[in-house]
Amino acid sequence: MTQQEAEAAKAVAKPSWIPWNSVAESGLAIIMGFLVGGGIIALAGFNPALFYRGLIEGAFGSPRALMDTISYMTPIMLTGLSFAIAARANLFNIGSEGQMYMGVLAAASIGAFVALPEGLHQMVILFVSFLLGGFIAALAGWLKIKRGVHEVVSTIMLNWIGFYLLTYLAIFVLFDPLRAYKTTTILPSATVPFVTSGTSLSYAVVIAIVVCIVCYFLLWRTTLGYNIRAVGLNPTSSEYGGIKVSRTMVTAMFISGGVAALAGALEIMGRFWYVDTEASYVRNLGFDGIAVALVGRNHPLGIIISSFFFAMLKTGGQAVQIYTSEAGRTGIPLEMSLAIQGVIIVFASIPSIIALVKKFTEGRKK
Amino acid sequence: MPQAFSMKGIVKVYSDGTVALRGVDFSAEEGEIHGLLGENGAGKTTLMNILFGRIRMTRGETFVRGKRAIIKSPHDAMALGIGMVHQHFMLIPAFTALDNVILGLETAKKGVMIDRKTAREKLEALIKSSGLAVDLDARVEDLPVGIQQRLEILKLMYRGADIIVLDEPTSVLTPVEVDELFSFLRSLKAQGKTVVFISHKLREVMAITDRVTVLRKGQLVRTVKTAETTQGALAQMMVGRDVVFTLTKKPSTPGEVVLSVRDLKVRDVTGRQTVKGVSFDVRGGEIFGIAGVEGNGQTQLVEALTGLTKVQSGTVLLGGVEVQNRPPHVLYAQGLAHVPEDRHRRGLILEFSMLENSVLGLQMREPFSGRFGVLDPEEMEKWTQKIISDFSVDVSSTSSPASSLSGGNQQKVICGREMLKNPRIVVASQPTRGLDVAATEYIRSLLLKMRDEGKGVLLVSADLDEVTMLSDRMAIMYEGQFVDIVDPSKVSERDLGLMFGGIKREAPA
Repeated sequence: MTQQEAEAAKAVAKPSWIPWNSVAESGLAIIMGFLVGGGIIALAGFNPALFYRGLIEGAFGSPRALMDTISYMTPIMLTGLSFAIAARANLFNIGSEGQMYMGVLAAASIGAFVALPEGLHQMVILFVSFLLGGFIAALAGWLKIKRGVHEVVSTIMLNWIGFYLLTYLAIFVLFDPLRAYKTTTILPSATVPFVTSGTSLSYAVVIAIVVCIVCYFLLWRTTLGYNIRAVGLNPTSSEYGGIKVSRTMVTAMFISGGVAALAGALEIMGRFWYVDTEASYVRNLGFDGIAVALVGRNHPLGIIISSFFFAMLKTGGQAVQIYTSEAGRTGIPLEMSLAIQGVIIVFASIPSIIALVKKFTEGRKK
Repeated sequence: MPQAFSMKGIVKVYSDGTVALRGVDFSAEEGEIHGLLGENGAGKTTLMNILFGRIRMTRGETFVRGKRAIIKSPHDAMALGIGMVHQHFMLIPAFTALDNVILGLETAKKGVMIDRKTAREKLEALIKSSGLAVDLDARVEDLPVGIQQRLEILKLMYRGADIIVLDEPTSVLTPVEVDELFSFLRSLKAQGKTVVFISHKLREVMAITDRVTVLRKGQLVRTVKTAETTQGALAQMMVGRDVVFTLTKKPSTPGEVVLSVRDLKVRDVTGRQTVKGVSFDVRGGEIFGIAGVEGNGQTQLVEALTGLTKVQSGTVLLGGVEVQNRPPHVLYAQGLAHVPEDRHRRGLILEFSMLENSVLGLQMREPFSGRFGVLDPEEMEKWTQKIISDFSVDVSSTSSPASSLSGGNQQKVICGREMLKNPRIVVASQPTRGLDVAATEYIRSLLLKMRDEGKGVLLVSADLDEVTMLSDRMAIMYEGQFVDIVDPSKVSERDLGLMFGGIKREAPA
């Protein structure tokens, strides 16, 4: 008996919840992307080493650059996480964009027009954001299970509903009477403070990372997460396992939408303090999240890393032209750096795409 | 007799490093029925798929009629007169029988229209000479499985195959259909054709083959003349040890009724009524078996009893409580355990770890789910280790995915999980399907053990031997109804055969 117990104890090695294979694959794919991107730069007649130096310096070269990079991580980390949570339930939520607008709406309205003590104010905004974003995502989930509407179709439509709802309210209700191109600036009690003055980096990034870790815990260490992943992998076995498949799908959509809304709310609370009436400050952050989730392999911790990678490409890419220009000569043009970003993202997504194809072909074999 | 084909030193290594064949020699003579016997995973199907050009061998040589042959595709194989009937038929359900046969060989009339008339004449002549009656105008989806198999064979003959490989051909057939198949195989042999009969069923191999080749774990054990061997000797070659064929079965001591079913009617997904009023009781301490050819409503019956499909009408009492149309987790709480028919579709989530699969169905319950629904990895690990040790599961780590386990070990995980729940009743559907001899024995002994512990066991299986061997009482299901409920030790093979076809034996005077 004691020997048995000893053996059992020995075997209680912590299960590896981090898929190291995926980490290696994605890392290799990213390196390949950089190499191929470098080749293209060379073909275009520029110096790849110079380009990448500009990219790195632009992203990390100064404290300010580094802080800008980290600041940009926040929204795409959360929209990436949003996509990933739905994807774990095998739902293709491309409505993070519209769900994010719900967060923007909550922050711009409650932040500017409801007076609450600091602390409570931020919490109320985040809470309401989560509910609103969760609600319109769950709506898509509900349409799927009740009416068989594919979530891709419904979430795309809801994106537009979200967009027009936000811009309508921004123009007619939330507008700043002095400067009508934007909404009323939110109250100081509703803001997330900056880390230091003079940058765009606020503590919102800490909140985003905490949300990622919470979702990681949720997916792998709770019954709900178990059920979500089970439904995503095998709905028939889930049914056998006593899981209410439809309800779990709607729940996954709700959480996914809520997380996306946090991205929008934190952008307003921690960065802009208001939104322009065309929502251009936050446009496409939801769609960027899809790529972040692909590279991060739909894993909350992978997404933290992948959002950093995307933020680096974004801030560094914008700076390349300046960094590579010398006296009397313009540098490598911005278009080049956008193209290289594209190449690197395509390569970085390859492992996820292979995994998708594998899943599809194996599904057909059975 | 001249050799029809021979394969020498065949090695097959799959891209993931699995060695399926380790240098196998195999040959068959013209005009013989040659059995290819082995457990699941022994390499039988792989070897024949190499001959048929579906799989490329890593090393080795193939000779057909004495000449070296390089077979790169089924097309090459067909050109050499080699045909194969796979376990899963390669027929297009929406096409007629005729169209399925001529598929790929259509001769065009005036360059546009398919010339069905000539094909039909040729095929009708073939049907006449071979005795394989098939309605050529019926759509394949409307044909019974036995007829579909005939059609597959007919298709091969139409293409001029004289080496015919049949992969587990009897697994889908009724006893009567098996007899028909065998007599047909004998007539093929009389015409000088070569038949390779892949099987893991000893009785059938003994009944039909001239010679038998036994494979074990990718290696050739021996080729013997069927007349000069016995079932026991073959079994020993297959598993490499003595197999206890008859489980020791104590007399049952039935207790109170744990599952009571009254006039149960169930529709399948298409709305067709597939269970048409079934009533029975299962008591604690007995195994109630349901036999019958697959597709007679057993699947829907089990799914209805386990909460996976809706009941149309009738009642189900589980431990005295009405449970029809209640969801699975309610039934589990009432003491139901379910070993499902399809491990991959129901019983496991292949991508999940062994640890996670061990609690499937229990994940929402104490002690695995604690406060706020947080999982307790230590409790899960303890539970998994108990399954591993109590049910001798061969697994390297509890965090490896279920897909990395062999079929037998996957089934042990499911049985372990379900039986350790300490249920009132175990519903086991096809519990030994696709398992090797050793694992089959083990799972069967587990069912008997559950019975001896006083649990009720409902066993549904397409394997008649299994049901008669294990059950204390058995029902034969035909077209959604029970033909009869009998004592398996007191029923003759002939009566069973009739009941499988829906004919109730005469009541003894």
